[in-house]
Parts: sequence; C-alpha cells; structure tokens
Amino acid sequence: MSKFKILDRINSSGKSYIIYKKTKGFDLYTNFSEKIILSNNNINKFLKSISSNKKNIKKTDLYIGFFGYELLNNLIGIKFPKQKSNNFPKGIFYKPETVINLNENLYFKTSLKEKKNNKFKININKKNYTKIFNMFKRKIKQGETYQIKICTKYKNKSKIDPLDFFCKLSKSNLAPEAFLIKDKNYSVISCSPETLINKKGRSIITKPIAGTLKKYKNLNKKKALQYFKKNIKETKEHNMIVDMERSDLSRVCIPGSVKIEKQKSIEEYKDLFHYVSLIKGKLHKKIKNIDIIKAMMPGGSVIGCPKISTLNLLNNQENENRNIYTGSFGYIKFNGDMRFNIIIRSIINFKNTSEISVASGVVIDSNSNHEFNENYIKAKALIDLFK
Amino acid sequence: MIYVIDHKDSFTHNVVHQLSLFDKVKCTNYDEIDSKYLNSASTIVLSPGPGSPKDYPKTSSIYKNYKGKKKIVGICLGFQQILFCEGAKIVQQKQIYHGFQSEIKVVSQKSIFKNNNTYKVGRYHSLKLKEPFYSKNFDITMRCAISGSAMAIENNTDKIYGFQFHPESFLTINGNLLIKKILSA
Repeated sequence: MSKFKILDRINSSGKSYIIYKKTKGFDLYTNFSEKIILSNNNINKFLKSISSNKKNIKKTDLYIGFFGYELLNNLIGIKFPKQKSNNFPKGIFYKPETVINLNENLYFKTSLKEKKNNKFKININKKNYTKIFNMFKRKIKQGETYQIKICTKYKNKSKIDPLDFFCKLSKSNLAPEAFLIKDKNYSVISCSPETLINKKGRSIITKPIAGTLKKYKNLNKKKALQYFKKNIKETKEHNMIVDMERSDLSRVCIPGSVKIEKQKSIEEYKDLFHYVSLIKGKLHKKIKNIDIIKAMMPGGSVIGCPKISTLNLLNNQENENRNIYTGSFGYIKFNGDMRFNIIIRSIINFKNTSEISVASGVVIDSNSNHEFNENYIKAKALIDLFK
Repeated sequence: MIYVIDHKDSFTHNVVHQLSLFDKVKCTNYDEIDSKYLNSASTIVLSPGPGSPKDYPKTSSIYKNYKGKKKIVGICLGFQQILFCEGAKIVQQKQIYHGFQSEIKVVSQKSIFKNNNTYKVGRYHSLKLKEPFYSKNFDITMRCAISGSAMAIENNTDKIYGFQFHPESFLTINGNLLIKKILSA
C-alpha cells in the first residue's frame, strides 16, 4: 500500500494520530495506548515515570505531546490572575504503539464537508494594542523588561479538516518543527520553525529565532543577512535572545560548555527569512529532564527578556488564556532524549472554534503600528487556509 | 567561594559560568538568599536584573553589612545597587541600551585596569548613575566612549567593584579577563 493511502486510511479510521516533521519527511504516531492529561499535580510524577535506564529503545518508546503555556509558567512558580478560558487541557501526552515514516510530499484530499469561515475576530483592536504597547514601552524605560511580546488572538467558529490544512501548510511553508495533532475532540496544526530543545545523551542544543523578513523579489540569503546586520533594532533584539538562551542553558550545563555554534545565520523558507543562532552545551550529570524543562521553558524568544519579570507583566495584562500558544510540543524518549519546539504559527480547533495566536516584540525603538501589522502578517498565512 | 545573588535575571547564569572559570560558585535567587553562603563566601556578586535598586531592599542591607568585610562585585543592576547604597541617584537615560555593543574607556589612573585602554562591551540598561557622584574611596574608572556615562566603579580600599555593562555577554570581548582581574585584585 502506498504511503498516501496509509494517510487516507488512518485519517478515515477515526483514530487519533500525530504527525511531526523530522529532518527528512515526517513521522506519524498512532495507536495510542495511553493518553495523559497533565496538571500542576501530576506533571512531576509524569516526567519521573519516564524511565531513563534503557539504552536500546524502540521507535515507539516515547511520550509525545505538549505542555501548554500556563502549565510551564506554573512549573517555574509563576501564578496567573483570573483569565477567560475555554477549559482546554493544560498539557497532553500520548504513548504511541505505531510509528510510520512519511515522505516530504504529503498528499491528501478531504472528503469532509468543511465549514470554513474566513471571518476572524481579533481580541485586541488597534486602539487597545497601542495602549498596551505604550504601557510596555514605559516599563522598558523603567528597566522592568528589555523586550516583551504582545500576543493577539484571532478566533472564529468553523469545522475544519486538520489533515487537509496541515498538508496545504506543509506545501506552502515546510517548517522544521511542523506538527499536527488530531484527537477526537480537538486538533492542532502548526508550522513552527523553532527548535527549543534537542537533547541527545548529555548534549543539548537550542536554536532561537529572533528576526523575520518577508521575501520580496531579488531578495536572497546574502541580502537578507546584510539587512539584519545593518538593522540595529533587529540586531539588538537578537543579541538579547542569544544571551538569554546562553543563560538558560547554563542553568543545566557544565561551566565552559555553553557555546554559540552558529551566530546570526539566515534560514530560508518559502515566504520568509529567519535570523537564527544555534547554542549548544553539555549537561551536568545530575540534571533531570524536569530541570531542563524548567530552565528552558517557556521558550524565551517568544516571551521577551528577562523572563520572569516579563512573564509577570504579560500575564497581568492578558485577560485570555494562551492555551497551547508559546507552550512546547515534542517528545521524551524512554532513554531520556528529548526534542521540543516552541508552539507558534499554529491553529487550535476545539469545540468547533479555531484560534490563531501571534505575537511580536516591543523593544525601546519599536513602533506600534508596525508591530500591530506584523502580527497580522504572521496570522495571515494561517488565516488564508480558511478561504 | 563566590556567592551570586540572582535578581531573577535572564543573564545571571552566564555570570555564574564565567565566575566558575576562577572559583567555586553558589547562586540562589533573591527570594531564597542563604545566610550560610553569605557567611562562607569570600566574594559576594550582585547580579543583573530588572527594575531599579530600590526594588531590592534585602540586597541593600547585605551590601551595608558586608561592605569592607568581603569583596563585593556588582553587575548592571548590581552596579547600580552599590551606587544607590552609597547615596547616588539612579535615573532613566535618554538613550536606552539593550543588547548593544559599545566601546568604553578606562578613565582613571587609580584603576586596576590600564588607563586609556578601551574595551568592546555588551550593554543592557535603561537606567544610569546621575552625576556628579561622590563617595569616599570610590572612583568612576570606565566610561562610555561616546556618551561618557559611568561604566565601572572601583573602591580598592574596601574591594568593591561594579560594571554597568555585562562582562559575561557574548557581546563583550575579553570579558573573562575583566572578571579575572577583579577577582584577583
């Protein structure tokens, strides 16, 4: 049976499944024997329960799923004021019994009658956005934060076929951390470009992105690099994130082992260029996965800096739960290896409501109009799928 | 042993790793200051952090208790904290430096660094020292080559040192040497 047919068959079987991008192609995980809904009470126990003694493990010896934003905040002792919430779980992990390798070209034609709706409601209008923006700028002047990302949320009522969306998205924007979760009562479609943690043995890397440039005619990689290097605002934002990620890694790594492997390089995607650095380190012997998660999550590049005071500023400002947005998706293997991304550029569909969240940064020389539009540009690629 | 008080900053562990090149280091955050570490440390380091010195009264009293008894080093907010305890005013600056590499210069004969030497350093600060500033035995020993803002203070009598910039940043060239010199002073 061809790979295309397998995708068709699994999708129409009604089984839950997850697709996750790997270096070449995708892995599809299904036949889940366990589904663990995470809360503040069981997260420690869950992470401890994943045995790390086995050396030779099967491809299905792992838990795959996500940590939501609130759970990750709570894990590092940050509490939330009361927020509007749709009661979506704070985190879910699955134990797959089957993994299927899929190649890069996903093909799928939906037979579902989708009720698409391309009218979205935004939760913060331009006037309110500007108000928040100016308030945060004051906080920057007072030194309470150096960089902070304002999140806006687009919502609508719609019934979609997540696999159809995911295949279309993979064609237009093949992102290295793309994933799809299709469960019975919800789905998540993401073309995240950002690797937060890749841990193998005692080696760990993180690959922060700070800086995005939309492609236009005659713009190549070299010119994109020139643009970023000349742009002082972009450079400062990026520098800040690099130092922050070095520090986060240093919490769990051996002194002297944290190195910037690639400094300020350009990654090219279909519609845009990203300004990326790669930082690596060697983990302390006694470090457990929960220590790494607490040191690195939520991923700093989508929050701002410094992390704790910036998270507090954000959470006191936002009156609606972020759910999965700026949480992390990935897996933990039974031998302790992990891979996690930062959940951005994503659609979550729950109770027939689709949510797209986006954020862009405020630094001292940002402009509110520009950042507001930047948020819309980021959301547009996903909103276009609803046409 | 060096004891670092972390003002919940996202750069503190770069400081810890840099200091670890020269000595054993302990670090706890501001809410969990450990009196045993304070007593057994030979050097106390006040980390960078958000906000301004008045937000950290515990750090101020630690400074006052240990001034002259142990070596004290302040970085960014820690630098401002030392100055604040010495009666200085810490004010907002017109131009704000976050993630900025700039050139600074040694401007004092009394410095443990060679007068007129220049360094490329990383800066992350909204606030600065309001001048004129005077306190017994303190000298401003480095300044921004362009704006002239105070970038380092030294009190070689009481062994108190502070940098407004971040010696641990990847934007600082030869940051390890700067720290080594202060630790061995």
